[in-house]
Amino acid sequence: MSPLHPEPGAPAVATRGLHKRYGRETALAGVDFLVPEGAVYVLVGANGAGKSTTFKVLMNLERPDAGTAEVFGVDAGRGGPRARAQIGYVPEHHGPGYRWMTCGQLLRHAAAYYPSWDAAYAEHLGRALGLKPHRRAGTLSKGENRRLQLVMAMAHRPPLLLLDEPTDGLDPVIRRRTLALLADHLADTPTTVVVSTHHVTEMETLADHVGVLREGRLVAQMPRDELQRTVRRYRAGVPDGWTAPPGLPQARRSRAGRELQWTLVGEPAELTARLTAAGAEVREVTTLGLEDAALAFLAEEDTV
Amino acid sequence: MLVNLDPNDARPLYLQIMDEVRRALVVGSLRAEDPLPSVRELAADLAINPRTVSQAYGELEREGVVYVRRGQGTFVAPGARPDRGAVGRGVARRALLEARRNGLDVEELVTIIREVAAEEENASLPAGAANPGDDQ
Repeated sequence: MSPLHPEPGAPAVATRGLHKRYGRETALAGVDFLVPEGAVYVLVGANGAGKSTTFKVLMNLERPDAGTAEVFGVDAGRGGPRARAQIGYVPEHHGPGYRWMTCGQLLRHAAAYYPSWDAAYAEHLGRALGLKPHRRAGTLSKGENRRLQLVMAMAHRPPLLLLDEPTDGLDPVIRRRTLALLADHLADTPTTVVVSTHHVTEMETLADHVGVLREGRLVAQMPRDELQRTVRRYRAGVPDGWTAPPGLPQARRSRAGRELQWTLVGEPAELTARLTAAGAEVREVTTLGLEDAALAFLAEEDTV
Repeated sequence: MLVNLDPNDARPLYLQIMDEVRRALVVGSLRAEDPLPSVRELAADLAINPRTVSQAYGELEREGVVYVRRGQGTFVAPGARPDRGAVGRGVARRALLEARRNGLDVEELVTIIREVAAEEENASLPAGAANPGDDQ
């Protein structure tokens, strides 16, 4: 039984064997997330891979069919309110409810919920994001809604931020400013961030942990450094009619003349040795950006 | 101090930040006792994880390039000397990598660099302003 109060030293998020189905659709098929405290964890996956479902389970907006989910050691289901008090959440969908209220009223409404609400900070965030306090929630554009949701999520300085496509609908200027505000936020508020995004490159310089979801399964979960070390692009010259060593844990490959290029997952020294032993001349081993490296786990598995 | 990070650079970000500080010392845009941007400023400016900036500053402090004044921030150490060697080795490593990618060996690269430099000097053009296609 997990405790009902946050445990010192517990991971920010820990799930075990998380399962969730919607009718015939499997959203999560036995997922063990582990997000250490203080991490900026980016969750990568196609639409329907289970990213939003994960957030909803952590927010206790959905009940898992099996498995457990804990936020700082508190069960997200039984300890729902206590777990949620630790979280600032930007949901997948934009509608804020309370459509008749103005942005200013909605922020005061949120302030009443959170003892740690920082009114001056909320105002600073709102100004930086160009939020207009007198606008009614029901008349906001997609982007304005996102900005309001970001202020509401961040202004009580929660220990955990769950951001589901936080920059969706934002124009490029506001998108950049949002990322800068997030970096700024991390510099003076101890925060764990779990963020899902289709724009993985925008998290390039912020993320230090990565999880890759594929059809409800967590196919990779590791620190950023390890991802950069173990997922690399190999370029090698090969003789005519060359065949690759069997069982190469490859993700993608392309061929141009007598040169082959693969994205491979594994220890670089070992992979280079295997290719060399098989008669390939490895000419270049390059590291990949966050997005390319994460996508290596989503590529169709084909044989070399 | 201006810091530019290259997302396509294979080096970890904290090493890129360290190199940018070393480069600023060599070109003279940073001198002894100059303040570095605060962790928070640089993090927000580059939309980068503040821990990465802290890691870079921490390493630079261990190397004696910068020091921390309590409550005031990070400053260039009085004894910090522009390390032309370290900056030069970085340039060389990048050039070598690019040369190998293009099937050139070290000797060829060095010879060609001298030739191109001489040509640019003759044309009395500032470095880098020569027509990149003009290599005859």
